[in-house]
Amino acid sequence: MVAQYSAIQTRQLTKVYPGFWKSQQVLALWQLNLQVLQGEIFGLLGPNGSGKTTTIKLLLGLINPTAGDALVMGQRAGDQNTRRRIGYLPEESYLYRFLNARQTLDFYARLFNMNRAQRRRAVDYYLDFVGLEPAVRGRRIGTYSKGQTRRVALAQALLNNPDLIIMDEPTSGLDPVGMLEIKGMIGRLKQAGKTVLLSSHQLADVEDVCDRLVILYRGQVELGGALADLLERREVFQLEARAVSPELQEKLIAVARGNGAQDIRTGRPRVRLEDLFKRLVDAKRQAEQPHV
Amino acid sequence: MPHASLSYVPVIADVLIGLLVLAFALLAFRDVARLRTGFSRAWAVGRITLAEAWNARIWAVPLLWFLICLILTFALVRSYGPGGEVRVDLTIFLRAQEILLLVYLGVLACLALPRERERRTLITTGSKPITRLELLLGKVMGLSAAALLMILVMMGATWGFMKVVDARIRHDAWVLYHLQKKNYDKMVRHLPPQAGLLYLARHGVLRAQNNITGRLRIAGYINYAVNPPIRALKGGSAETLYFEFPSLPATLRAPPLFVFHFGVRSFGKRRGPARIHVTLVQRSNPMNTEEKSLTLNAQGSAVWQPKKRFAFFSYVNPMTGRIYNPGPVVVKVASMTAGDYLFIANGRKPQDASCLAWNMDRTRTPGHTNFVAPKPDPIITGFKSNGKQEVVGPSYRHPGIPPEVASFEFRHLKRRQIPINKNGDFTVHLLVGVDKQMNEALPAKAQLLAYDVDNPQGRQRQVLRIDDKHITVVKLPASLLDGSSLVINLSSMIPGHWLKITPASVAIVRPPSPFILNLAKSELVVLCEVTLLIVIGVTAGTCLGWPVALLTTMVCYILGNIVAFVGKLSRQGGFGLLNYVQENRLKGVWYYQIGSLISAVMVKMLNMLVHLLPDFTRFDPLYFIVRSVNMPWTVAATDVFWTLACVLPTLALGYLLLRKQELA
Ligand SMILES: Nc1ncnc2c1ncn2[C@@H]1O[C@H](COP(=O)(O)OP(=O)(O)O)[C@@H](O)[C@H]1O
Ligand SMILES: [Mg+2]
Repeated sequence: MVAQYSAIQTRQLTKVYPGFWKSQQVLALWQLNLQVLQGEIFGLLGPNGSGKTTTIKLLLGLINPTAGDALVMGQRAGDQNTRRRIGYLPEESYLYRFLNARQTLDFYARLFNMNRAQRRRAVDYYLDFVGLEPAVRGRRIGTYSKGQTRRVALAQALLNNPDLIIMDEPTSGLDPVGMLEIKGMIGRLKQAGKTVLLSSHQLADVEDVCDRLVILYRGQVELGGALADLLERREVFQLEARAVSPELQEKLIAVARGNGAQDIRTGRPRVRLEDLFKRLVDAKRQAEQPHV
Repeated sequence: MPHASLSYVPVIADVLIGLLVLAFALLAFRDVARLRTGFSRAWAVGRITLAEAWNARIWAVPLLWFLICLILTFALVRSYGPGGEVRVDLTIFLRAQEILLLVYLGVLACLALPRERERRTLITTGSKPITRLELLLGKVMGLSAAALLMILVMMGATWGFMKVVDARIRHDAWVLYHLQKKNYDKMVRHLPPQAGLLYLARHGVLRAQNNITGRLRIAGYINYAVNPPIRALKGGSAETLYFEFPSLPATLRAPPLFVFHFGVRSFGKRRGPARIHVTLVQRSNPMNTEEKSLTLNAQGSAVWQPKKRFAFFSYVNPMTGRIYNPGPVVVKVASMTAGDYLFIANGRKPQDASCLAWNMDRTRTPGHTNFVAPKPDPIITGFKSNGKQEVVGPSYRHPGIPPEVASFEFRHLKRRQIPINKNGDFTVHLLVGVDKQMNEALPAKAQLLAYDVDNPQGRQRQVLRIDDKHITVVKLPASLLDGSSLVINLSSMIPGHWLKITPASVAIVRPPSPFILNLAKSELVVLCEVTLLIVIGVTAGTCLGWPVALLTTMVCYILGNIVAFVGKLSRQGGFGLLNYVQENRLKGVWYYQIGSLISAVMVKMLNMLVHLLPDFTRFDPLYFIVRSVNMPWTVAATDVFWTLACVLPTLALGYLLLRKQELA
């Protein structure tokens, strides 16, 4: 296995939003020490207003830290050259309303100094990749639905084939199918060796994809570590099986109790609504496109 | 109050601007180095800006402009005569274009960055590898491109419209000429057809002339063949002689005495002594005057001591030790007695000037010169109307008195620049208006007297028929061009006919340039002006919200249009009208002191501000084209250079403001 470098490293990163009076100042982030290794998927978790977006903007150099510093790909945050290797999906899709999807992506591709052929290839490839219907690609973004806009924003983040992808609430505004697609996409990015930093308050997102995470609360890290370690309840044992008759259940419980197990609970596992929904929509789509 | 102390202001302003550029050079060198690949990124931003402008229906602006111009031209253009019509049309079309572009693109420039910030699109763009400098340049480039596109469209429309007007004028002239010719041939009309009409029909009005114009002087009599030239003020005419004194020192005991001295020569019977009317005027406050009629003695001299003691003269207040200086003062002289010619000393030797200010008090102080002389070669103006001067013809009442002369002096002529035909002649165009107070039925006639000052004997005299506001073509032998300067004198020959003269009324003809090229140069000046305003607007938008940015840009533009005025204010001693404050009486009063302190600070601040801001009065797209004169390339190039010289510090400021700004 290759040695892992840190893609992101922050030291005592602090942000206080200035206010006219002292009481208006906001302490958004307090002495954050973060290390994201290359090739991993890192989750930034926390309730609304806990400083996730602030952290991400600091990492991109969109805002200036009050104290501390951050290194991204070995360079100071905001370095122009490192930005070539970064993709950023903003919290909300801040795109030009008067351009269509193609023009938008063409514009961002120009900012990466791609030539005409490269631009055309990248634009088409990534619009397909994020699954934007071809019919809407020529329409102004102002007329898009939230999900469609989100897809364009995502394509914009991937356009330069970045090594580090920073996603702020990637699943917000997407339907559950879209969410699943995004999660699948993140998995593929990981396979391709990319580093992903994603923030979310939707725990389900994080749980499914992240390798490691931190939980922020009011700008401070409350908890951090590898997901597997954090969620595993080492003191509990769970058994799942099909075709278990009521008698067998009784027996199993009796055996467990007889051997000193405590707090025994039994029940039937439920599928997640998300999976149910996806199965439903997938079936519909299959029916609509019999030739595929 | 002397404002010489303000002379440090431009220096400080230049130093500040220099520091700004230096800071830019020090802080931006990395970003500037990145510009090698950065222009394509900047242009990407520019394209978006252009697309946004297009989306904001920028294409409607030229349409609107054309509509406005059509309405204005049809509402305003009455029969001015062909040249006047074209002048008014061009003024409307170009001025409207300039105003519309300045307003529209000024607003777009102020909105450029604030709107991106409000819509948060800067967050996405800012996460890409683009520098702040490229962002700034991109915005400017996009808006300038929009301006360029609009200007191209409007230029095409202006050209088309002017072509139509020109075709109509030429057709009308042609028809009229042939009508006159037919009537003359049938002897219905006793005057031959107007040659000016034929010239108009042939050449039209859309010209960009490269003709050479001279220096116009009007006088009762002028002779350049003597060195220095002799001039005389005509008695009983509307001619006014101006003696300009940069400043008139006095002492508290005595204001100066003015001593006048003229050589008097009379035509016809003398009815009494020669009289002059003199008026003393403060330059910065023309309402401040004193006048007096004086009688010249047998030697042609008169003495006058004005009554108003301190309104015109500078003096040192012995109580405060401060200098009071009302600035330049002008002495106007008119000759009141018809038939008298007052010959004027040219004043190149100060003691010989025809008007001297003697300070009686200082004559007794050793080490002081005891008189002040005006600037040499005092100006004479004729009767003025609508910015033109008129010279009167001979008079029935005073026969024998020669008519007034408008004299055009052409110095430093380069012979190889003047085309000479195979007969050895060069061409001169006369474009003169005629104002007939009497003898309305007679065609106007002018006498043209041309001579080379080194060889006055070889002078050429021609009597020409003048068509009001039509070009009269005159051929003169090339031998006149041999000397150091050529003089052409023009005077009216018919009693009661006034000739309306401008400095361009007599011109040595050179091949014209294409009109479209001249139009393009005018549009280039408009583009420069608009680009400068765009840069100011975008810079204001880097750190301000759009309403404040808009206000700032507007203030910059307005102050930039009164630079010369403010400069003059501080040079000539503040607001002229406020000079009347009697310092002695108010000197000890605390509120006067505070008031004067505040006013002094205000003048200084205004002066400083104005020196920091670009001078918008430099851009004059109209000056040449409405005079049918080709804009020299040097003028266009100077405007471009000046624009760049203003754009760079402004961009530097914008960059420094945007450099560390938070985009989110
Ligand atoms: N521009 C700003 N000015 C002042 N306060 C801000 C600004 N942006 C965010 N904040 C505050 O900083 C805190 C953290 O915000 P944010 O990072 O957006 O939270 P999250 O993304 O985790 O929901 C919040 O209390 C928010 O109100
Ligand atoms: Mg957030």
